[in-house]
Amino acid sequence: MPETWIRACAVADVDPEDLIEVTLQGQKIAVYCDKAGNFFATEASCTHEKVSLCGGLVVGDIIECPKHNGRFNYKTGEALRAPVIHDLKTYATKRDGDEVFIAL
Amino acid sequence: MADLDESRFGKRDAFGAYQPKDPITYAPITEWPPNPGKVWRWFIGWPGFLLPWYLFYSCLAVAIWVWLTPPEAEMADIAPGWILTILGRNYLLVAVWNGLWSSRLYLQKAQGTFTKYNPRFPEGKNDSFLWNNQLLDNLTFVLCSGVPILTGYEVLGQWFYANGMVPMVDITSTWGLVWVGFLLLSVPFWTEVHFYVVHRLIHWPPIYRAVHHLHHRNINPTPWSGISMHPIEHLLYFSVILGGCLIPAHPIVLLAILMRSSLGPGQGHAGFEQLAIPGGGTAAVGDFPHYLHHKYFEVNYANELLPLDRLFGSFHDGSEAADALLQARMKRKAKRGQTGKAT
Repeated sequence: MPETWIRACAVADVDPEDLIEVTLQGQKIAVYCDKAGNFFATEASCTHEKVSLCGGLVVGDIIECPKHNGRFNYKTGEALRAPVIHDLKTYATKRDGDEVFIAL
Repeated sequence: MADLDESRFGKRDAFGAYQPKDPITYAPITEWPPNPGKVWRWFIGWPGFLLPWYLFYSCLAVAIWVWLTPPEAEMADIAPGWILTILGRNYLLVAVWNGLWSSRLYLQKAQGTFTKYNPRFPEGKNDSFLWNNQLLDNLTFVLCSGVPILTGYEVLGQWFYANGMVPMVDITSTWGLVWVGFLLLSVPFWTEVHFYVVHRLIHWPPIYRAVHHLHHRNINPTPWSGISMHPIEHLLYFSVILGGCLIPAHPIVLLAILMRSSLGPGQGHAGFEQLAIPGGGTAAVGDFPHYLHHKYFEVNYANELLPLDRLFGSFHDGSEAADALLQARMKRKAKRGQTGKAT
């Protein structure tokens, strides 16, 4: 199925080194902004216990789950530290003016 | 107030997680070849085997035997009077002990996050817990199940002694005193073996899901989390108290086990590595191996005395290398479909 670009949020909605959760077509997606202002997106729930990652802390390229402190690289989705062992699903993003779009 | 420079004791990572400077090691008594000087320093040092905590629990056991335990003759018959006295005394002990730790470190926040492993305080609503609140949940399980069950074991033990079912050693004789002293020194070792065996058992996925998950909801533990457990876990965990009745001994030994198993977890789950003492100085309080167990679930089932986890492959010394090994092990288990995962 071809990807569809869907508007996720405004650029100003996400602070650098932070994330927000959006719901697009019934799916919860975490939208991240790194220090340089680039946007990334992953599934919003930790692969360990399905807790929303939005209460977690972003440092560099890493998001730490607020529940068990499992860590992921949000740019690649890679699970970095126990207890998480399954990678996060990632989505392509693009910026168009003041808006962020995600390919679903 | 003590000097609150925590970098003397350990470090924080970019996410604020604190860990002690040195990797976790076991008691030097288990090292080979033996190093008598090191063992002696560990035995009498501060912090060490005796000081400050085990000597404190043992002295408390003696004081309780002398002043807060009904006379032997009275305990020979099962009667509500002395049983309720012991129940009330145990409620008082657990409430005062956990209350002091909790009040100073979590309500007053007297030392802020100084050497706190998890930089966050467990505050606000949390729907993982009864009443959506970790403290209220912990209080419920400790007071409604923990204290009555540990008291039940003590009552049984005291009744055994009072009826001569277990020979009571005469501590007014030199050899009796030496024997009881030896038994008191041995308590931390065999209670750790008991803890390890029970703990491995309750991590078996069916029992874990039915029983032990209740304790493991305390990912960011506090003093009241220590003996906040399912009643079945209380029955298994506090059965160690009857270890004081297996051979000729003395109720003081029984009480020392009780102090260690009922008060020790409050200190061990405090969530801080060091206690800042008003007026200056610090005292080691933390149980980092057990904190890692709460964080990662499948490591450090025992404590720091005996190398049981190293022997059975579940040791985590707090290093990044141990993190990587753990993650690899969990991935292998997941592939085999053995994720008896914690919740």
